[in-house]
Amino acid sequence: MVFYQCSKCKKIWQQSIGVCPECFSELEKVKTAKAKVIGISKVSISSILHPEVPYFALVLEDELGNKWAHKSVKEYTIGEEINFESNPNSVAIWRTKYDIADSIEKVFELLSMSLNENSKIVILPTLVSPNHAYFRDNTSPEFLEAVIQFLFEKKIKLENIKIATQSFDEIPIEGMAQKSGLLDICLKNKIMPLDLAKLNFVKKGSLEIAEDVLNADIVLNLSMMKIGKAGASENAYRVLKKENFASLKYLQSEEDIVNELKNSLINIITLGEADFVQKQNKTIVYPGLILGSKSFLNLDRVFNEIVASDLPEILKDVDIQNIEITGRDIKEVKLINN
Amino acid sequence: MKQKMYIKGVGMTKFDYSQKYWWQFAYDAAIEALKDAKTGISEIDAIVFTGMSSAAGGEHQTHKVSFLSGLFKTNVPIIEVPSVCGGGGVALWTALHLEGFKNILVLAGEKLVDNKSEIVVDYILSAAERVMEQTEGMLFPVQNALIWQQYMKKYGGSMDDLSLIAFKNHSNAALNPNAYFYNRPMDLEKINNSPVVSSPLRLMDCSLSINGGAAAVVSTEVTDIEVIGSGFATDYILTFEREDITHFKATKLAANMAYAQAGITPKDINVAEVHDAFTSVELISYEDLGFAEEGKGGELIRSGKINLKGEMPINTSGGLKAKGHPISATGLAQVFEIVNQLRGKCGERQISNPKIGLTHNIGGAGGSVTVHIFKKI
Repeated sequence: MVFYQCSKCKKIWQQSIGVCPECFSELEKVKTAKAKVIGISKVSISSILHPEVPYFALVLEDELGNKWAHKSVKEYTIGEEINFESNPNSVAIWRTKYDIADSIEKVFELLSMSLNENSKIVILPTLVSPNHAYFRDNTSPEFLEAVIQFLFEKKIKLENIKIATQSFDEIPIEGMAQKSGLLDICLKNKIMPLDLAKLNFVKKGSLEIAEDVLNADIVLNLSMMKIGKAGASENAYRVLKKENFASLKYLQSEEDIVNELKNSLINIITLGEADFVQKQNKTIVYPGLILGSKSFLNLDRVFNEIVASDLPEILKDVDIQNIEITGRDIKEVKLINN
Repeated sequence: MKQKMYIKGVGMTKFDYSQKYWWQFAYDAAIEALKDAKTGISEIDAIVFTGMSSAAGGEHQTHKVSFLSGLFKTNVPIIEVPSVCGGGGVALWTALHLEGFKNILVLAGEKLVDNKSEIVVDYILSAAERVMEQTEGMLFPVQNALIWQQYMKKYGGSMDDLSLIAFKNHSNAALNPNAYFYNRPMDLEKINNSPVVSSPLRLMDCSLSINGGAAAVVSTEVTDIEVIGSGFATDYILTFEREDITHFKATKLAANMAYAQAGITPKDINVAEVHDAFTSVELISYEDLGFAEEGKGGELIRSGKINLKGEMPINTSGGLKAKGHPISATGLAQVFEIVNQLRGKCGERQISNPKIGLTHNIGGAGGSVTVHIFKKI
C-alpha cells in the first residue's frame, strides 16, 4: 500500500495530494509491505458497484498502523496477511487509487516484469480520434505521463524511449496528438512522437511490422479500454503497415491477424487503462482499474468479462477459464449496467 | 452563536414511500413549520435548504435555491448546505450562525427511494469516498459493521444490546403518527432473527431509507424554545484512516462544543434524539455524547434508563431506525421531536416534563456531526 507523508508534521494521507496543507512541504511516498486482516464483514446486499454477493469487506493494517478498506471474494481470518502472487503469464488486475504510476508499478510487479536501465522502449499509446481526454477515446495524458515517469524512475534513458503510433484513417495524427493532450506530454518530457507510417516496416510472415517496434526490447501497448471492444488488440494493430493491415483484413479473418501478431510480438506488454472507460453508447463509466498482460488478447477478454459485455468477434474463442489472473479477482471488480 | 437564537416553529411530513416530488416534501414541511411559527413567508429573511436526492429519478436539479425562490415567491438569500445524512443538522447550525436575519426558514426534502434497492444504495453510497472505499465494497452498513466489530473486540459489546436498541426505537415509533412504523411495533424475536446484511449487523440493526421532509423556523425573537448549544465537527471520509475506529470523534467534538456553550453537562439532558442510522451507531453515540462511559453503552440500554418511561428517553420518535431516515431531512425531524417533547405535544409518547433536549445528527459514517441543545423557557 502506498501512503503520502509530510516529512515535517508526519501526517499521512491515502490520496496523493502533493503538498501538506499546513507547512506546504512536498509529501513523500511511503510504501508499506504488510497487509494484515484486522476486520472482516461478510456482505450480502448487492449494489451497482458490487452486484455479486456475498463478498467480504476487510479492514487491513500495515506495519505502521495504517488502515484501509479492501474487498475480497476469498474468506480470510483475523490476523492473516494478504499477499498477491506474481505470475508472468497472467492478466494482472489492480485498482488505480489516485496514483497511476504506483498502479503501473504494481502491475509490473504482478507480472514479474523488471526493466533494464538500457532497455529500449517503444510506447504505443491509443490515439484514434481528435478528441479531448474526457471522451476516453485515446490514452489519457495522465496515463502517458505516469508511464513516462515510471520509466524514468526505473532509470530508463530518455534517448531509449520512443512514443509512436499511426493513423489508420484519414485523420492526421498530429491533430489527434494535439487535441488529446498527448503531444503536450511528449514535448514536456522531451520525447519526440513518431508517426510509424513514415518509418520502415519489416516483413514477418504475412505481417509488415514497424522496424522500431521489432527492434525495441519492450513495446508498451497503452490501451484505452472500451466496453464491448478488444481495445488492446486493436491498438496492437497499429504496429502494422496500414496497407498491410487493410489487405490482411480483406484476405483473412481478424482472429488470424491477431493470432499471428500475438506470435510475432513477443516483446509487447499491454497496460490497459480502465480508470474511466467508454461504454458502447460513448458515455463514460468508472471501473477504477488498470490491467496488465503480455497477452493483449487475454487482457481484452478479461476486461470484457469484468464489465459483463457482449464479446467482440475476435474474443469469442478466448476461453476465460484458461486465463490466469493475478492481483484482484474478477468477481471483486465486476461491474453491471454497462 | 453570537446572539440568542430560538425555535419559532417546526414541521415535518409523514415519513413514507409516497412518490411526491422532492420539493413537495420540503414545501409541505415548511408550510407546517411556518404555520406553527405563525409567520408568513414574507416575514422570512433567509432560507437554508439541505438535500441530496434530486439526482434520484433522473431529475438532477442542482439549482434548488432558485427552485425554492419560485415556490415561496420570495427573493431572500437562500443557501443550500448539503451534508448527506447530517444535512438537517448542518443546515440548522448554519442558520443559527447567520447574523443579521430575524427569521430563518430551515428545510429539507428528500425523495430518495424511487428505484430498486441497488440504485437507491448507489445514491446513498455517493456520500462515501469512491476510489478507496466505495470500490472496496464499503457500503454504509458495511463500514458500520466493521466499526462495531472493532468496538466489540475492544470492549466486548453484544448483539443483544443492539436488539434492545432496535426494540426500544420500534416501540417508540409505534406511538408516532409521523413514523413509518406507526402502530406496528416489532418484537424482539423478529429483531434477533432478522437476516444478516453485513456481519455482524442484521437487517433490523439498520435504519429505514425513506422519503420525507422536515423544517424549522429559527428566530432572534424570543419564543418558548431557546437553542442553548450548537456544535459542529467533521472527520475524515476514509473511515479507517481515523485515529479511533471504535468511536466517532466528530460526535465528541460537536457535543463538547454544544455542552460548553450551553453551560451544562450530559447529566442535564432530559430527552435526546440520537442518530441511530444503525443500532451500533446509537450505542457508540451514548458514549460519544457522554451519556455513558467508554465501553459502557451496553449497560445504558440494558438499564432501561433511556426507554420511553426511563430517566432520559432516547429516540422517543422511533429514531432513524423506525420512524425512518430520509437522509437530509433526518436532522430537522429530530428537532421537530425534541421541540414537541419540550412543549408537551407528543401525545402517547410524551415524556414527563422535560426541560432540556438534545439532537445528534451524523453525516456519512461519522464524517460530519452536529449536536444541538434546546431549552424550554
